[in-house]
Amino acid sequence: MNTPQIAVFARLAKENTLETRALEGQKTMISRTMHSLAYDSVHDEIVVNSPLAQAILFFRGGAKGEEPPVRVIQGPHTQIRGTDYDGNDKMTFDEVHGEVIIPVNKDTILVFSREANGDVAPIRVLGGPDTQIRGSVRGHPVVGVDPIHNLLIVRSVGEQGSGGALLMFDRTATGNTKPRSVIRGPKTGLTGAGGGTAQLQVYAPKGWIVGGAEGGSIGVWSIEDSGDAPPRWKIPVQQLAGIGPSGVAIDPVHKEVIVASGGRNRLVTFYFPEIFD
Amino acid sequence: MRIDRNEGGRAIFAGVVTIAIGLVYLSWVNSDSSLRKPTGYPQLVSIQELPDSAEMCPPAEPARTDLAGSPEDNLFAALQATSAHAATAGAGDTVDVTRPPVRTIRDTYPIYSSVAVDTQHDEVVLQDTNLFGIKIFNRLDNTPPGAESTAPKRVIEGPKTQNEYNNGLSIDPKNGDIYSVAMDTADNMIVFSHDSQGDIPPVRRLSTPHRNFASAIDEEKGEVFITIQYPPKVMVYRKEASGSEKPLRVLEGEHTGLYDAHGLAIDVKKKLMFVGNWGNASDYRVAGSGKFYPPSITVYPLDASADTAPLRVIQGPKTQLDWFGGMSLDPDNGNLYVANDVGNAILVFNETDQGNVAPSRIIKGQKTGLSHPAGISVDTKNKEFWVSNMGNSSVTCFSLTANGDAAPVRTIRSAPAGRVSLKFGKPQAVAYDSKREEYLVPN
Repeated sequence: MNTPQIAVFARLAKENTLETRALEGQKTMISRTMHSLAYDSVHDEIVVNSPLAQAILFFRGGAKGEEPPVRVIQGPHTQIRGTDYDGNDKMTFDEVHGEVIIPVNKDTILVFSREANGDVAPIRVLGGPDTQIRGSVRGHPVVGVDPIHNLLIVRSVGEQGSGGALLMFDRTATGNTKPRSVIRGPKTGLTGAGGGTAQLQVYAPKGWIVGGAEGGSIGVWSIEDSGDAPPRWKIPVQQLAGIGPSGVAIDPVHKEVIVASGGRNRLVTFYFPEIFD
Repeated sequence: MRIDRNEGGRAIFAGVVTIAIGLVYLSWVNSDSSLRKPTGYPQLVSIQELPDSAEMCPPAEPARTDLAGSPEDNLFAALQATSAHAATAGAGDTVDVTRPPVRTIRDTYPIYSSVAVDTQHDEVVLQDTNLFGIKIFNRLDNTPPGAESTAPKRVIEGPKTQNEYNNGLSIDPKNGDIYSVAMDTADNMIVFSHDSQGDIPPVRRLSTPHRNFASAIDEEKGEVFITIQYPPKVMVYRKEASGSEKPLRVLEGEHTGLYDAHGLAIDVKKKLMFVGNWGNASDYRVAGSGKFYPPSITVYPLDASADTAPLRVIQGPKTQLDWFGGMSLDPDNGNLYVANDVGNAILVFNETDQGNVAPSRIIKGQKTGLSHPAGISVDTKNKEFWVSNMGNSSVTCFSLTANGDAAPVRTIRSAPAGRVSLKFGKPQAVAYDSKREEYLVPN
């Protein structure tokens, strides 16, 4: 895109409300195709991939302007590898255990310590045929983490983008490990078109998994679900707002779900107390 | 039980009075909203069972997303609009939550990513990467300071145009055809005839790789050049190419010095090609190959292909290059004009420059009206250059000899003066900063 900024808006911002600050410029090392990012509230940092440069960047929480990252993970030991289409565009962050989790190379998950800097090896690598992890045709699976129930959740994509599933692993799983449980099937809302977001959020106190569901919706599943389990709740974003969700964040304090639409250049916020109460 | 007449009358009277007081009280309760004082936070107002899905009311119209009053108003409206089903959904059930959004962040004005001048028709063509359209103005339009905006002469916009997140405008000097390349979702180059307007399909569509940025046309050889940001390359097609036609040649490889390719300019007289690079580098086939290089302008023979190394490279801190976008060349004197987006400046280099060289001129300052200049187009016929400003929904025109804090000779605005753009460009993700109560939104 023209300017791959990270713009920051007040929670109550609305139409045409200006950003409060923006990270942008060469020194930031950010690049386009940032399809996920995270805020580390424990250490007050912004964590984001630099997808075209196979890097993970950490910024001060209040960073603005052309501010360089405080740490950069990049180099041959990292094993970070993107695709021609998506680069390395997806990630999630476990602020309880201080770990960055990024999917690479379509079917592998790398885990780094948040304190890592430079050309460092991942502390864990999860991947192999038994994991059932599979990225999209030209991209990666989507990841989320539940630090309370110690689960790593992977939104895996089937062949040619069909047959999606939520795979639940022990958070510290490594190697060619089978998932503890799998949500997969025609009722799950994970298989049809228009169900993709590049982010998965977990409201760990309740064990709710929040992510894209078919039909341009946001779906909520339980970490206790398995098999052909439909979402517990669904926000039909496409019907309500005329946009397809591409990213999602949660705000438990105000009981809101924030949805980004890359396709239509906007953010919408839904009041959704059901999953937080 | 026996009740005498007096006692009975008193009882009936007391009962009537009690009922009357009760009715008055209930009426007051229902009419006085002060009993539920606004807290600024969500309040449960009712629990109602949803009807069977077959009888469920249709979801709200999309227009309702544009509720833009105070947050309390929005939330109140939202809670009134549909039932708040507060029950926990059980396994095997899906509860549709049909409350409309309480807030929407978007920019309702154009965000101009690219500009091109049509000297034959005396028009300025702008690519709007926010509302997804092409807007055409008269070249001599100049928005008065007190006016809200200038209306475009023509607009090409709508789903049939296949125009989404486009950039890299070029104009055919012979017939005024408009060339536009897709930066993200569409993976194509679309061409409109000069007189096109409204929601119409392009006259030609060419499939391209993902992540186009800029285009340039070599009229002598009938070729169109397109930069691809990543994996970085320059594609060269027949100018009239369409459909899935293959390129005539591709410049790509580890020796090219292409790293996150952006702006593009060609000099047909001297047979040179200039490519802007942001320096984000990696080979997607090799794990851990990522690197950050300083930004650069790499110069090649016009017919370069395959893994050709640049003839020379402009690179280094003196250049002041900073996320620079469009580039445009004045072939009469070899001045290379660069839209230095984050630097909020126009940098002018000589096409023979190389190494760590300072620009010969820098147009920058309060008077310039520049705000995130992303696109640039040199008009040698009228001795002017045009700049599209992503930061304020405007295009500014300068003399080709402008320098320093120069005021534009004309400005066309599509938003009120002083308005600042959100610069949204495909905000694909979002994170919530719980400490500052802020949304983090990457483009």
